Amino acid sequence: MSVPLISITLASLAVGTVATFLAGRYARWVALGTSLLFLLEIGLMFWGYSWPGLLNGIPQFAFYESHAWISIGWLNINYTVGVDGISLVMILLTGILQIATVIYTWNERNRPGAWFGLVLLTCLGCFGVFVALDILFFFLFWEAVLVPMFFIIGYWGGPNRRYAAIKFFVYTHVASIVMLVGLLALAFYSHAASLDFAAVYAAEPALTGVVPAFLFLALFFGFGVKFPIVPFHTWLPDAHVEAPTGGSVLLAGLLLKLGAYGLIRWGVEVIPNGFHTDTPLLLIIAFISIIWGSVLSLSQRDLKRMVAYSSINHMGIVLLAIALNSELGLVAALFLMFAHGIVSALLFMTAGSTHDIYGTRDIPSLGGTASATPRLATAIMIGSLASLGLPALISFPAEFTALLATWQAITYWVLIPLIVLVVTAGFYIWMMQRVLFGPPKGIPNPVHDLPTLEVIAMGILLAFTVLFGVLPNLLVHWIVMSPVGVWPL
Amino acid sequence: MSLIATGLDFLPEILLLAGALLVFLMDAVGIRRIEVVGSIAVGAILFAMLLVFADLGFAPVAFLATIPRSQIDIVPAVGSTPLYWFTSLGLFFQVFFLIAAFLVALASMSRPSRERGAAVFYGMILLATLGMMLVAVASDLIFLLIAIEVVSIPSYLLVAYTRRDARSMEAAMKFFIVGALSTVLSFFGASFLYGAYGTTNLFVLASGSAISNGAFGGGGFPLLVVIGYCLLIAGLAFKITLVPFHAWAVDVYDGAPDDVSAFLAGGTKKIGLFAFFLVFLGPVLLVRGTVEFQWFGGIGAVALGPVLQVVLSILAVVTMTVGNVLALMQKSMKRMLAYSSISQAGYMFIGIAIGTAPALTGASLQVFAHVFMKTGAFLVVAAAAGLGVGPLIADWRGMGQRHPWLSVAFALMLLSLAGVPLTIGFLSKFVLFSAAIEAQGYFVWLAVAGLLNSALSVFYYGRVLKVMYFDAPERGPVIPTSTEASVPSPGAPNGRGAVSAIGLGAGGIGYARATTIALIAIVIVALGVYPGPLLQPLAAAAQHFVNLAF
Repeated sequence: MSVPLISITLASLAVGTVATFLAGRYARWVALGTSLLFLLEIGLMFWGYSWPGLLNGIPQFAFYESHAWISIGWLNINYTVGVDGISLVMILLTGILQIATVIYTWNERNRPGAWFGLVLLTCLGCFGVFVALDILFFFLFWEAVLVPMFFIIGYWGGPNRRYAAIKFFVYTHVASIVMLVGLLALAFYSHAASLDFAAVYAAEPALTGVVPAFLFLALFFGFGVKFPIVPFHTWLPDAHVEAPTGGSVLLAGLLLKLGAYGLIRWGVEVIPNGFHTDTPLLLIIAFISIIWGSVLSLSQRDLKRMVAYSSINHMGIVLLAIALNSELGLVAALFLMFAHGIVSALLFMTAGSTHDIYGTRDIPSLGGTASATPRLATAIMIGSLASLGLPALISFPAEFTALLATWQAITYWVLIPLIVLVVTAGFYIWMMQRVLFGPPKGIPNPVHDLPTLEVIAMGILLAFTVLFGVLPNLLVHWIVMSPVGVWPL
Repeated sequence: MSLIATGLDFLPEILLLAGALLVFLMDAVGIRRIEVVGSIAVGAILFAMLLVFADLGFAPVAFLATIPRSQIDIVPAVGSTPLYWFTSLGLFFQVFFLIAAFLVALASMSRPSRERGAAVFYGMILLATLGMMLVAVASDLIFLLIAIEVVSIPSYLLVAYTRRDARSMEAAMKFFIVGALSTVLSFFGASFLYGAYGTTNLFVLASGSAISNGAFGGGGFPLLVVIGYCLLIAGLAFKITLVPFHAWAVDVYDGAPDDVSAFLAGGTKKIGLFAFFLVFLGPVLLVRGTVEFQWFGGIGAVALGPVLQVVLSILAVVTMTVGNVLALMQKSMKRMLAYSSISQAGYMFIGIAIGTAPALTGASLQVFAHVFMKTGAFLVVAAAAGLGVGPLIADWRGMGQRHPWLSVAFALMLLSLAGVPLTIGFLSKFVLFSAAIEAQGYFVWLAVAGLLNSALSVFYYGRVLKVMYFDAPERGPVIPTSTEASVPSPGAPNGRGAVSAIGLGAGGIGYARATTIALIAIVIVALGVYPGPLLQPLAAAAQHFVNLAF
């Protein structure tokens, strides 16, 4: 591949972001243009993608670029980017959520230039994380996601936004620091030739003793807070509840995936020894997250808070699937990440719209909304059904694969996620029963159903929910064109 | 044709001295316009900088080299006890010092043309710079301490040169008393070391040979040496503003004229760091586990190097933490910058505690970055004061709208201080913390402490950005919000109104100052994005320094 497609994409996103900040009244159009261009570039990436496979046991990447930036003997940093199937799928998710968010928040009146600029900057950071193959650039993009989200929560958020924004910043930033130290220690303790993924990957076997286990633990903490894993999850509900709808969509849809992606890319792939040692801890935390997220979700009155806690539960299943260390488990984890990105984004949009239309998200004070606002009710219904894992919708193949992989790896322990899934289904159905049906409650007069733009935004997500639910192989086809396809490495 | 033939190794220093003498001479005959005096100083500094660049082997000006390449980075012969030696790292530090002096000298040319004391100001800047240059080549403890004095005495005068401002006088008195105390401590420490080793040569002090000669029997060393090093740490720590020897710095930076604060924080403070390089790198590196510490005749046996490293590490962490926490609580812009300067010294000090070549590279890069960031920040504060902005952070409300270019430059400096990517400040911290992790062991915790502190510092730099860009500007004319603001400008005894009354260009801050600030902003970003040309030779110089030094 001679065309530096990734650099072009990064540049186009960066230019679009800056232009959006400066565009003032026309910011939304610039943002839309940037998003469409981004989708086009993603399309080109899929079109031209072929995974080079392994070379001397080291995973290779498509659209690979590497340019020296610093080389002073002990410290060699290259601008290295590339994609494989794992990142490709996550990039697709980024593109979808970016355009959906831009369309959903089209009528943002409060400093639209800054708003759309920050949305694009968040997506730029996520894209960067998914393509960066160098510790420094990975960290740069990782932090580049954190800052715009801090401002999105802190400026456009709800009444308690300052607290939520600072809590979000402190939790995730401390975690990033641990992650950075872990990654650098990984490079320096193994005497890697540079901070490149390939160099670190090649040097890792030099680590002996308890070092890999500790390094993996540091990475697990750093990435885990973004997951979020219990007991470091408490920033998530606060951030979600206070964040504006567009912020929640990006937060749940993309930011939570960064943690899982990072754990797979830099933890599971690079430090297999540490991973094996720490697997019991990962399993325990996964089970706790699954159970605790579900229980908390069940006890919420606020629609948004309920979705937020269910995210902890779903990401717990992702962690469980990763910890299984099998090809099937990783496929399930990645599929589930994608599915959760789409579905939780959809659910947060419906929660935001519910608040816009009814002035509240309080589940008990709503009722009979199905007849008052049929479009919104349809979206809530499909989103909830997708989230609880109804066949033919996107989560079903993901969760089914995850459970299958769990059974293959640790047999009867599968009962824990299985039973929790029933509980999850229970709270979604109970929520639907109360909010959508029953006697009309809390319905203003006159009531306006979803505006067209929000229908379009949700429609995009619904389309993918059904598409990949019916044809999951469309996604799995790309996921396995990566180290996952030849697992264990 | 080259200058080497002249044999004047110290030509850059001689140039500075000549410049200073010329300035004083012209003052005596009545030529005092700041444009003239300033041009002489800037010219001398620039020419000296060219010469040092040439000595560093910078190809386009190589014919100006005054020191033969064969004399740079060479270990002195065994038995010789030279007073000075030339290392590429030392030459790099000379460049850093000259840059700080250059920036301050250039920016100060925007002050009122007939301001009193221009000759004193520029003369003292040149003399202090001369002292800093000598610090960078010292290889003898007494030479080093005297060079530090050559810096200190002009610095005291600089703080007080306006004479009529009570606050600067108070600052100068504090500075002088504390400075004198630190000098006394350093010399006292040096005398202990002389008593122990019979020499003040840094090579001999650092090498184990003096000890294994059996001067103390059994290869140990007495309490004498420990006391000597402790006193030296204390004396030099005053210069570099390490906690708990930092208290003077805030009052002095706050009370001194703004341009002088820029020079003190951006320039003279760094000599302490290089002095630490010279005095402690040897012991830290060499004595690692080889020499034992005899506690009253061999009761306990502790190697000196690791103990020193622990002490220096603790100093580094305490300094950065205290500096940051106190900066967080400041309401005055200059005091906030002063505390941030203290915390930055803590980061630099990580390099000394570790003592490896990578760590030295990081610390040197941090010094370089700090020269630009901190000098620039104080120069912007001076410019803002000229525009009628009060001394409090809150007085900067709406600066983003009122003075967009000045605000952008200041924002860049603050972002760089906070360590935001694509600035030189990020790069220097990244290299420094990487070096800490590279050194392994408990140094990894230094990196963690540094990173956490960086995160903390984001809040107070970010607060200034918020005030500048997001808080609504005050209505009507800007009214000084504190009594301090009504004190006539320390830098301009004629009153700040004079600046705008004269109608200096570039938005009221003067062309020279505007140029300086723009230059700093450009360097901060340019080297942050493309650091190779600086970083590679600097890393090589640090490697040489560690290899050959001790």
